[in-house]
Amino acid sequence: MATDAPPIAAHDLTVAYDARPVLRSASFTLERGHMLSVVGPNGAGKSTLLKSMLGLITPDYGSVSFFGQPIDAVRHRIAYVPQTEAVDWDFPITVAEVVLMGRTTSRRGPLGWLKRPGPEDRRHAADALERVGMTNFAHRHIRQLSGGQQRRVFLARALCQGAELLLLDEPFAGVDAKTEATLFALIDQMSSEGKTVLIVNHDLQILDQFDQVMMLNQRVIAYGPPAQVVTDENLRATYGGRLSLLDEADEKLRERRTERDHLARTTQR
Amino acid sequence: MITSLAQLSVDWSSWSLPWSRFYLQGTACSILVAVTCGVLGCFVVLRRMALIGDALSHAILPGVVITYMVTGDTQPVPLLIGAMIAGLLASVLINLVSRHSRTKEDSSIGIVFTAMFAAGILLTGSLPRGTHFDLKCFLFGDALQVGTADLVTMAVISAIVLTLITALYHRLKLVSFDPLVAAAMGVSVGAMHYLLMGMLSATVVAGLKSTGVVLVVAMVITPASAAYQLTNRFAVMLWLSALFGAVSAAVGMSVAFVFNASTGPAMVLVATAIFAASMLLSPGHGVVFNRLRRWRLARHVRNEDVLKALYSLGPQPAATHLSALAAHLKMQPARIGRTLARLRREDLVTAVNATEIALTPAGTRHAEEMVRAHRLWETYLADHAGLPPDQVHDEAERLEHAHDLNERLDEVLGRPETDPHGSTIPR
Repeated sequence: MATDAPPIAAHDLTVAYDARPVLRSASFTLERGHMLSVVGPNGAGKSTLLKSMLGLITPDYGSVSFFGQPIDAVRHRIAYVPQTEAVDWDFPITVAEVVLMGRTTSRRGPLGWLKRPGPEDRRHAADALERVGMTNFAHRHIRQLSGGQQRRVFLARALCQGAELLLLDEPFAGVDAKTEATLFALIDQMSSEGKTVLIVNHDLQILDQFDQVMMLNQRVIAYGPPAQVVTDENLRATYGGRLSLLDEADEKLRERRTERDHLARTTQR
Repeated sequence: MITSLAQLSVDWSSWSLPWSRFYLQGTACSILVAVTCGVLGCFVVLRRMALIGDALSHAILPGVVITYMVTGDTQPVPLLIGAMIAGLLASVLINLVSRHSRTKEDSSIGIVFTAMFAAGILLTGSLPRGTHFDLKCFLFGDALQVGTADLVTMAVISAIVLTLITALYHRLKLVSFDPLVAAAMGVSVGAMHYLLMGMLSATVVAGLKSTGVVLVVAMVITPASAAYQLTNRFAVMLWLSALFGAVSAAVGMSVAFVFNASTGPAMVLVATAIFAASMLLSPGHGVVFNRLRRWRLARHVRNEDVLKALYSLGPQPAATHLSALAAHLKMQPARIGRTLARLRREDLVTAVNATEIALTPAGTRHAEEMVRAHRLWETYLADHAGLPPDQVHDEAERLEHAHDLNERLDEVLGRPETDPHGSTIPR
């Protein structure tokens, strides 16, 4: 049954920080081998969507299944690349070591967590570095790379995990157009090899290159193939400000200090 | 002079028994403490938990005193258990306070550890009269009071901590470098955090007799910070930090023993000296080498500027060459004179005769290479970086000193004939 289950099936995912909803009732399904771009203004809940799907933030309501199973059963099939701004670039670590980290949980079986990376893991890491064209930089410290090279290294780590589903949070933020094209070509190639890819993305110019587009601003405003979804009306609804009545309702509810579950779910019923 | 040296308060008789049992046991225990703290310290420093290290060492006091009240005795193992419980309680409380109030983590740490330390001091005061609980030893340490039982306990703890860190090395590294991805991969970030906290409490408690609560945090963060200055490899940092810890302990103990001084402060000051040296002398990040590199670059740039000025001005009469160059370069004549002397030593400039200063053939070649670099960079900046031609000069003036790249630049540009201003690019 799990073989045909979609890589992602999110149902009614709702997250509130401090009783302030940042993501309301997000539901969507992503098919195997598809490439999805999630777009929306700053603070629209894009990163929150990824984190809550992965269980890094506990959703207040809703559920997600990956390949038809709960997240903890399939973590080894998913690779996550968070935004790079949180990375400590002074950490004493080389490019090769970062990529090899992708193999940390690859050693299955009893006491797998005590085993050290073996020749096979190193081969995977070398292959991944080769794929992103960073082999010559393997022994550099991560601080000594350009922004685009840093992105490629983190992409290589995700590749090295051997995952079938990639969740990338703003892989193109702060790189120039040429680097973005290089990175996109790499990701596109992974997708054509059958991997499912979800990208949080700011660049509306490239949306037609995706199979699916999600417009998000606290709630899912539109979801579907770019030809149907990328319309002026949807863009206005996504980028043109919040629905003020909903915000007012939340404010009222917050004042009343009702129960958390109630608070978070003030939409779409 | 000699008499005043002899009057120094060195107790030379102590040299007659340098290998006394106290000294040996104290040193061995301190080295174990320092090595273990040094290795754990790398995680503390990189995860920015230095304040937590300090907090833990203070917060264990009530644990120690209550255990002492219950058991009525100072056996190391029960004290250790009591202290570890107090240490873990402190880290849980810190977590609770920062999560359930507006208070940020650093203030939460401050509130929790001072409260627990205060409770510990009050409890000490309520111990029945005549009981022997040495608060001073707890606060400041005295490695010469280390007994065999303490040494054995410390050895066991060091072995456990170092084994755990070796076994979990890759996970701990991942969790410290990238906790989000670690969590997404299914590594338990919280468990690793509390494991590190637990190991740190155990080490700190067992090592209290060496340095005392107040100073033990130095053994955690100072050697690790010194190692951090010196390397870009995590494994190397762990080894260096352990080594610096061991050296601090051994040298500190010897100094304290010879001068009959307190052991803890001596060790801490040796560690600080190592840190200061690494801060100044680290080849990659040190103050001295950074200055040196900047100074060398500035000198290189001056050499080339003078060379190019002579090239464009042509041979100069000896009588007026300094003022002519000074006017052209807007540089002090004295500095130009020193630069010329260096160029002469490299055979790039000759005093052709007593009346004229000129470039040698080698100097001319070097200057031409720079002119070429300058015009190539101008072309590159205008064509590839999209700068307007009237703005490329200043940037090219800086980039021309990177003339090693000329060949590649020429190739990338498709070997142009002229620069954006129409000047011929020499080949």
